[in-house]
Amino acid sequence: MSEDSKKNKSANTTNSPSSISSPPSPKPAATNNQSTNISSSTSVTKASPSPSQPKPAATTAVAKKEPDPPIFEKGLVGQISSQFSDKVKVSYIRPLRIKIYVDPINIVEVASFLRDSMGFDHAESVAGTDYPKDNQIEVGYHLGSYSKVDLGAHILLLATRTNRDDARLPTLINVYKSVEYHERETFEMLGVYFEGHPRNERFLLPEDWADIPPLRKEFRIKGR
Amino acid sequence: MATAPKDFRFGNFVGSLIWLIFWILIIVSLVGLPVIFIILFYVPLPPINGEVLTPYLFLSMVVDPTRTLPIIKFLIHTDIFRIAVFPGFTFAALLAAATIFIERKFLAKMQLRVGPLYAGKIEGILQLAADGLKLIAKEIIVPSGADKPIFWMAPIAFVATAAALAALVPVAPGWVAADLDVGLLAVFAILGFFPLIALLFSWASNSKYPFIGGLRALHQMIAFEIPFILSALSVVILAGSLNLTDIALAQQPFWFILFLPISAFVFYISSLAELERIPFDLPEAESEIVAGWLTETSGMIYGLIQLGTYLKLYVLAGLFVVLFLGGWAGPQIFPQEIIPGYTGVQIYNPTTVNAIFWFTLKTFGIIMLMLLPRGINPRIRIDILLHTGWYKLIVLTFINVFIALALIYGGILGPGGVLTQ
Amino acid sequence: MANIQDNIDQSEKLGMEIVKESPDDRLMTLSVGPQHPGSGHFRFTIKLDGDYIVYCDPDPGYVHRGEEKMCEYRNFIQNIPHLERPVIHDSNNITYSYSLAVEELVGIQVPRRGQFIRAIASELNRQVYTLYWLAIYGIFLGHSTMFMWPTGDRELFIDLLDALTGARVTHAFNIPGGVRNDVPNGFKDKCLRNIAYFEKRLNEYEDIFYNNPLLRQRTEGVGILTKEDAINLGVTGSVLRASGVPFDVRKAEPYDVYNEIDFKVQYMKTCDSFARAYVPLLDMRESCNIMRQLLDKMPDSGEVRAKLQPNPKGLPGEAYRRVESGRGALGYYIVSDGTPKPYRVKISVGSFRNILALPHLLIGAKLADMPSIYWALNYWPVEADR
Repeated sequence: MSEDSKKNKSANTTNSPSSISSPPSPKPAATNNQSTNISSSTSVTKASPSPSQPKPAATTAVAKKEPDPPIFEKGLVGQISSQFSDKVKVSYIRPLRIKIYVDPINIVEVASFLRDSMGFDHAESVAGTDYPKDNQIEVGYHLGSYSKVDLGAHILLLATRTNRDDARLPTLINVYKSVEYHERETFEMLGVYFEGHPRNERFLLPEDWADIPPLRKEFRIKGR
Repeated sequence: MATAPKDFRFGNFVGSLIWLIFWILIIVSLVGLPVIFIILFYVPLPPINGEVLTPYLFLSMVVDPTRTLPIIKFLIHTDIFRIAVFPGFTFAALLAAATIFIERKFLAKMQLRVGPLYAGKIEGILQLAADGLKLIAKEIIVPSGADKPIFWMAPIAFVATAAALAALVPVAPGWVAADLDVGLLAVFAILGFFPLIALLFSWASNSKYPFIGGLRALHQMIAFEIPFILSALSVVILAGSLNLTDIALAQQPFWFILFLPISAFVFYISSLAELERIPFDLPEAESEIVAGWLTETSGMIYGLIQLGTYLKLYVLAGLFVVLFLGGWAGPQIFPQEIIPGYTGVQIYNPTTVNAIFWFTLKTFGIIMLMLLPRGINPRIRIDILLHTGWYKLIVLTFINVFIALALIYGGILGPGGVLTQ
Repeated sequence: MANIQDNIDQSEKLGMEIVKESPDDRLMTLSVGPQHPGSGHFRFTIKLDGDYIVYCDPDPGYVHRGEEKMCEYRNFIQNIPHLERPVIHDSNNITYSYSLAVEELVGIQVPRRGQFIRAIASELNRQVYTLYWLAIYGIFLGHSTMFMWPTGDRELFIDLLDALTGARVTHAFNIPGGVRNDVPNGFKDKCLRNIAYFEKRLNEYEDIFYNNPLLRQRTEGVGILTKEDAINLGVTGSVLRASGVPFDVRKAEPYDVYNEIDFKVQYMKTCDSFARAYVPLLDMRESCNIMRQLLDKMPDSGEVRAKLQPNPKGLPGEAYRRVESGRGALGYYIVSDGTPKPYRVKISVGSFRNILALPHLLIGAKLADMPSIYWALNYWPVEADR
């Protein structure tokens, strides 16, 4: 389930040095991406990604000149990879933004390492996204740092995936206290049960909510 | 109203006239005539120019208005006038109403805004009448499970107690609604009734926030009664009497505030606490306990409690004036006669009018001083309040008691003193 | 009149949670609920032991309108008006962050003059929001003048925003690509005049409000949030800066033209409620300074908006951008899949993060301290519920 898709993605993404943020689908990388600073004209004319059109991976490497990943971020990723060699898959490395994928079993260990050794001391938010095409829900923790000055601007997105039909994830509340209410909200909005969280209960939704979790894609707003 | 007027029909017009005449006859015969008979047969009427007041004489006053003067003079000196009109309930209520309006305007100017502006042609002067009408028209909601007799009784008791206090304040020499030899003690005895009313009402409201508010009101009022009494004690020592009129008269050479400034200060702070005014308005702390013990009041109950609160404000300010500022003492600025060379019945008494003028002026000054902290201060916390009331204020009053005793025994004030006249 | 037990049975049948209180429970349960002058559209249940709070459970969600779900049904530009509604006073900041994230996804470069105008509008909104917050803090403490003066002085900035954007609140001014229109004539002079007057007023506020001994007694030493706790709980904004952590997104991760502006991050080391009330005042002063520099450095002419396609398609990917708003770091995590509508928008708001400090601080505090602790956490109920 989640292992297969991880292996699938690792074939696509781990070894590409450019700052690609791939769409989370098992199709081959078919994207023209930009980082933030290229001019608008070229990007607009070239921007027409069609995920249904599979492009071979070779063309992306020579499509345009993509900047190398920033050195500091690469160093951070290197630190993480050297500690957990194959448990962590890097999704993208961009200036000030890193995304790594972890399996649910390893997430507490990786998060503890990030907090203790690397200095990411709080979680800014917890974002759950529903991918019905992969039959998965991805939960990502945006980690930031207040105490380390050089990490102040960086956000490390620690993402994990779980199956949609039986969504269970271990909670990070013992590592980062700040995720308590965010995980509760993810529980009620997406239906992901966090094992170990003291209160997997309704938080923002009204008490008599009797429908499916609203942020799932099959929940349609009435009339749209 | 956007309705078309009905067509004029003469029959309807005549009918409405007859209806009016019918009602006039009913009221005159069933109400008016008995009242006249009661007045003529049972009420002792004053003689005018040696004649007993007969209805014929009464009607002749329409022709010669000066004949009404003895009646007016007689009425002014009856007891019921003193209690109900001046210096009793109506005078106090009018001052209280004026205080409410002035408070709103005063605070508004301090807060860089204008206050009530639209009711009434001049600067919103009829705002109070508008508020009163609104409160009368509102529905009074009694919470379920509330103790109904106490719920209805408590606001009335509140106003009654405040009015009873207003009966003790002397406004002019000889003008008190109730001239008691132990006037000051009576004031404190009646003041001690207010925490009880607050607690009863909050308990009868059957709700949690009033309960907390009532407890706070109890704590607060009890904590500040002792500094109150002690600060008045020093005044009693200097004046030698508990009668409020005598205390006012004993300040002939110098007002007591010169000798007892600390007592005046403590009296002022304690009265702010008794009145539940900011900074001491914990019992109605709006942001913590909704409205404290007044949470469940609505409509006229709320109106009565506001009236009682502002009556109390007038009374305590009046007391401050009587105890520390010499009561009605002031230079005589009113002439001896309004109409020179008038030999008829005299209603105008220059000393009385002078006394009323100075008393009202001083009371208004003190009321403004009591309104001022509302614009400057936030609310105090209950533990700081109790600490202040029980420790700091009592110690301060003792200082002034000793000063008063020293003045008496030193022969400066009191009987046979250097400064007594 | 229905029996209380019938009410309980019916509520349980509907699945509603109710606050249960047994007759021999010596703790009093109070619901500082949505119908309370001291809570906003937010409820928290507290249990009291005498005057001390021993249990606190926040219960937001009274204004939950499903902002994040609605974003998936509208395209990138149509999202702007409804995304402003969580904080109507601070609308320029909440759409600023969204515009930055969308620009990263669609790949637009904002012209320089547009960046400056965006920053000026953001600073003006910050003043508006902080003054309103200060006004409500005064009311919570029972100080009605502290409500009236800031509300009156807000009009200075609301007038400027009205002239700039056409609306007093909810301006819909920032769009991906820049701002909607240019500044009107005479804006710079009026802005400088208002800022000069406002700085004098800030000195008056400090004298009358912050040096008032009663206010100090009520807020000093109350609700201590140590630096470690603040970092662990992940609070943000003025709450974090009042606990000794000098973190401001404008300084840590400068966006747009903030790397050209010279300003200092205002923070205090005493971690009590008074610091949390004082840091916004310092922030307002610094904001005046920033506005002066922005007005000074703004290029005199130029485009204010990049040319966009009528229905811009986001390139597949994700973006996370954040902005310093009145409440703290406001972040947007947008996932796009190549269509004109975003696939997922997650808004990370300062209020939702700060509410975690409320049970932590209230437990053990007195009931009378509850307003000064609660509102000093800079919690805006509507924003936290999104």
